[in-house]
Amino acid sequence: MSKFVAWIDQRLPVSKFVKNHLSEYYAPKNFNFFYFFGSLALFVFILQIITGIFLTINYKPDAASAFASVEYIMRDVEWGWLIRYMHSTGASFFFIIIYLHMLRALMYGSYKKPRELLWLFGMFIFVLLMAEAFMGYLLPWGQMSYWGAQVIISLFGAIPLIGESLALWIRGDYVISDATLNRFFAFHVIALPLLLFAVIYLHIAALHTVGSNNPDGVEIKANKNSDGTPVDGIPFHPYYTVKDIFGLAVFLTIFMFVVFFMPEFGGFFLEKDNFVPADPLKTPEHIVPVWYFTPFYAILRAVPDKLGGVIAMGLAIFVLFLMPWIDRCKVKSIRYRSSTYKILLASFVISFVGLGYIGMQAPTPILTALGRTFTLIYFAFFVVLYFTSKNEKTKPVPERVTMHE
Amino acid sequence: MNKAYIFFLLCFILSPQAFGASNSVQLKPVLIDLGNKASLQRGAQIFFNNCSGCHTLQYHRYSKLVNDLSITETMVRSNLILTTQKSGEPTKLGSTITNSINHDSIKEAFGVVPPDLTLTARSRGPEWIYTFLTSFYEDNSRPMGVNNILYPNVNMPHVLWYKEGLKTYDENNQLILKVDGQLSQKEYEQEITDLVNFLTYVSEPAQLERYTIGFWVMIFLVFFAFITYLLKIEYWRDIK
Repeated sequence: MSKFVAWIDQRLPVSKFVKNHLSEYYAPKNFNFFYFFGSLALFVFILQIITGIFLTINYKPDAASAFASVEYIMRDVEWGWLIRYMHSTGASFFFIIIYLHMLRALMYGSYKKPRELLWLFGMFIFVLLMAEAFMGYLLPWGQMSYWGAQVIISLFGAIPLIGESLALWIRGDYVISDATLNRFFAFHVIALPLLLFAVIYLHIAALHTVGSNNPDGVEIKANKNSDGTPVDGIPFHPYYTVKDIFGLAVFLTIFMFVVFFMPEFGGFFLEKDNFVPADPLKTPEHIVPVWYFTPFYAILRAVPDKLGGVIAMGLAIFVLFLMPWIDRCKVKSIRYRSSTYKILLASFVISFVGLGYIGMQAPTPILTALGRTFTLIYFAFFVVLYFTSKNEKTKPVPERVTMHE
Repeated sequence: MNKAYIFFLLCFILSPQAFGASNSVQLKPVLIDLGNKASLQRGAQIFFNNCSGCHTLQYHRYSKLVNDLSITETMVRSNLILTTQKSGEPTKLGSTITNSINHDSIKEAFGVVPPDLTLTARSRGPEWIYTFLTSFYEDNSRPMGVNNILYPNVNMPHVLWYKEGLKTYDENNQLILKVDGQLSQKEYEQEITDLVNFLTYVSEPAQLERYTIGFWVMIFLVFFAFITYLLKIEYWRDIK
């Protein structure tokens, strides 16, 4: 066996790779609950690819037969329903995981020096993932697929001068049609997954260059043993592999419960109207994007002007890219930051969840007012943070990480 | 406010019930029991005898009914397949459940093409179908002589009126039975329940197995999580 490994190693540095990235890759020993979501996101990405491959085997990207082919998968393909529910539930869980993963970064300052690039790659993954989910949602060719896409793509029409041509170029037709379905299929199953794969690779490569942050925001590389390993670091394998497998088992228990017992999740994961085939002549009463887009959709609707709404929505995502430069506080972790930051972050999270709720509702005067308030809070978070973070009153940060058991 | 309270509040706000559409007509509850094969069989019988002339189940196959409803192939062929192929031969067992209505002439007769019902129990819900089929009343201003409380001015005639009888509004605006049908009110409601039960099965046949399989998957995963937890504890013993 060792001879075989040696033979391989002379030709491909497998052992070195395992050492560098697993058995001698040191991670802080004080990771908490929020640190499960990185590996879980990677797991769900792979799950989506595998279930997606099986779905494409029977799915037909053709406006005349797409809807029926999904029902064919649900009925006539052996285990087709399970594969399909895992894929549809996986999409929603991907966003739950990514949102918690991002919240973790906001809590512990994981975007700060030297992790700015790591954060930027993460944001690119987030944007790509939104595009991936949006295009995937058109494929079942139900009413909500169709009209959701119609609404979102028409937003591009609000851009001055080039808007209408741009929307036409994206759709490949004057309305959402077979042409749109075909190109969205191409993007959803090959173009975007390839891009995602590349950026995820960069994200992990950047992570392994700078090392993980942790709930104390202490750089473990600052304190090293005589052999050069971090005092507060432990090898990723076996410590975090076993821990992450446990996390995965708990995740799968929740995930499979939804898959088997509530795959529609009360209309959040699979909307009722999407069980009606797309009908270009019949607009549904109430067009709602899937839940993971609703916070941004609510920001769009909060601005009375269409172009203004589109700009606000784009800005809401873009401003997140700038976090490493907006937050100028040297202290990373929320544990040692001022109550100002705690209040800011709490109101940001509340407004984000609130916007998500409002984005699902039909507009009423009260909800519109509330949506505007939350939109203001959402943006105020970044503005206030920029000005307060520079001279923030922080608590002393410990030299070493702390363990809470 | 403590954290648990906020969490509880969020759960309530985000619960599916909180999103219920504000339809003025209260939907009637219906007991769906897909484990009740007799009810599914009766539902299929009602569907094929009364509905299938106009409505299709175009994504579902006759052959699925054999296993899922525990009936014989012969029974499906003789009692449920009421159509023929173009050649005049009886429709094959592996075919999807369609019919031979002509879209143009049926549109002329009823104003609309009767919708396919495969997924109606998922798009509108079983309660909606149940309420719809128990909400017809006499209205001579309508072409079919009937109207519907849930779906005002619906184009569908009250096909099952020979079973239910005909309801009408009395001077106090109360619905009363004007003409008796073959069935009592209770029997009619039971038949509609069976029919809705059948349509719910057709809307998602996987429901017949997913709960059972899911149960065993849950048992495995909880056990697996427990084992991996012990493994984690064991490995992390030396980390202080």
